[in-house]
Amino acid sequence: MTVDTLVDPRRTLGEAVTQAAAQDERVVVLSADSGLSSGFRAFREKYPDRYYEFGIQEHGVTGVAAGLATTGRIPVFAAIAAFVTNRNFEAFRNDVAYMAQNVKIVGRNGGMTYSDLGPTHYSLEDYAIIRMLPGVVVLSPQDPGEIREAAAAMIAHDGPVYMRIGGPAIPDLFPQEKFVIGDGRTIRHGDAATVVTTGTITPQVIRAVDQLGELGISVDLIGMPTIEPIDEACIVESVRRTGRVITIEEHYVRGGLSAAVADALARLAVIRDAIGLPHQHIVTGDYNALLAKYGLDAEGLTARLRGILASG
Amino acid sequence: MNTRELVTEATLARLNVLRMIRAGKSGHLGGAFSCIDIVTALYFAVLRVEPSDPADPDRDRFLLSAGHKALSQYAVLARRGFFPEEWLDTYGSVSTKLPGHPDMHKLPGVEANTGALGHGLAIAAGMALGLRAAGNGGRVFTILGDGELPEGSNWEGASIASHHKLGNLVAFIDVNDLQISGRTADVMNMEPIADKFRAFGWRTTTIDGNDIDSILGSVRYASSDPSAPTAVVARTTKAKGISFLEGTLASHYWKPSADELRAAESELRAASGLLVGKE
Repeated sequence: MTVDTLVDPRRTLGEAVTQAAAQDERVVVLSADSGLSSGFRAFREKYPDRYYEFGIQEHGVTGVAAGLATTGRIPVFAAIAAFVTNRNFEAFRNDVAYMAQNVKIVGRNGGMTYSDLGPTHYSLEDYAIIRMLPGVVVLSPQDPGEIREAAAAMIAHDGPVYMRIGGPAIPDLFPQEKFVIGDGRTIRHGDAATVVTTGTITPQVIRAVDQLGELGISVDLIGMPTIEPIDEACIVESVRRTGRVITIEEHYVRGGLSAAVADALARLAVIRDAIGLPHQHIVTGDYNALLAKYGLDAEGLTARLRGILASG
Repeated sequence: MNTRELVTEATLARLNVLRMIRAGKSGHLGGAFSCIDIVTALYFAVLRVEPSDPADPDRDRFLLSAGHKALSQYAVLARRGFFPEEWLDTYGSVSTKLPGHPDMHKLPGVEANTGALGHGLAIAAGMALGLRAAGNGGRVFTILGDGELPEGSNWEGASIASHHKLGNLVAFIDVNDLQISGRTADVMNMEPIADKFRAFGWRTTTIDGNDIDSILGSVRYASSDPSAPTAVVARTTKAKGISFLEGTLASHYWKPSADELRAAESELRAASGLLVGKE
């Protein structure tokens, strides 16, 4: 991959929603002083009457989203992931999930991609807390094509959706194809273990798995752009063959993809390892340096995967 | 429906609340009775709603931000024909359509799942935005409790309604002066309430919230200028209508003895000019 092939995921999101809005006039965008920085500048220019600004107040905007949805609109509310899952959690839980409203909430700059801004701006528990809400789909697409298609699928889906994307520009990984909510994607085939990953960390994981391959260790690599509902069949089929599973995520291990996979495998006796962020407040710095510090860059992952697999 | 008939309806609605409390053995009576005259006036004289078509997209919306006052809405919805009055007798039973806080997916006529306080105003603002965009003339009415005003989310909702000039939104503040821990003024004094809403850009009016004509007057006031949302500061009496409960904290969540329940029913029947009837 080269730098000039990298794409800003927020821009991709904004383009995809704008495209969906052209086909469906019910789509409106809500901003908590966050729309322009979430990729919706073009949307606002094209559809000024369908772009609502509310200033910095995520709880209120989430309630408004639910109210708008009761009148048949499809509100898309994008802001910093930490603020649209934590600050507004009760509104997300009651007004969106319990009321079962057709609201789409996008958390951008998820994980620790706001690497210079610190724990207030990290989102390392969003998978865990949002997948606890009954009826809410949780998406974490892995490359620009998946973001584009996931955004279309999110809007086509009748019900509440949370989607996490990152911030830094990301590479194309896969040919763009229709996104089916709940489908995992087998990225590499192997037999030493099943590695399951999701979201912005996937490019690192692919590189790590390829480096393992060069060392003669082949694993099944499953990319999981839908965390809820998780593709249970895909995981079980692979793990039955490989006998063990390792999850990798840019999220605390507790409650995240790891827990979703563990739930799916609860009835299978397999040795399981989970790689994610340690359960502590995360330091600041250059994003790639943070990935390296926490062993989530390709090199760190390679070493950790080797270590796990060597332990038998 | 004239004022006298509306007053009678409000009393019959109060009797429906007692019917539910008889079935469930307890309930949030105090707040339900402080706001029930407003709920009655809205459903019988203001709201553009059709019980046979509760999902009509062009309908007006009513939601209780103070969701624990659900008994008032259930009582009036039943009177208005949204569901059979026999359902009132399921209050408190497993899987009832009338839970302790309203659920839009269970009961026709309920517009939002409230209960956690401080949510209603933002939801109502979203509804008002959506109805305005739809251009159907739809209006949104909500009732907040004075005790929930410290929730910051109310003021998020208040700023939204004002900034977006939601003239089709009316918020009644049911000021009964009491909340579960004591006098609202002592727990967290949010007075002067009208001034606060005015400062947020709302039109305001202060009324006797247990007086039907005052309530209808406030709706006319709200309709007279669609340039801004209207806050109606409704001064009310907790447990209004039951003399031995009025203004008491015990009425907030009432667990009556059989004698107390009978006494309450007798007083309401007498007030409505109905015969003291069979149990």
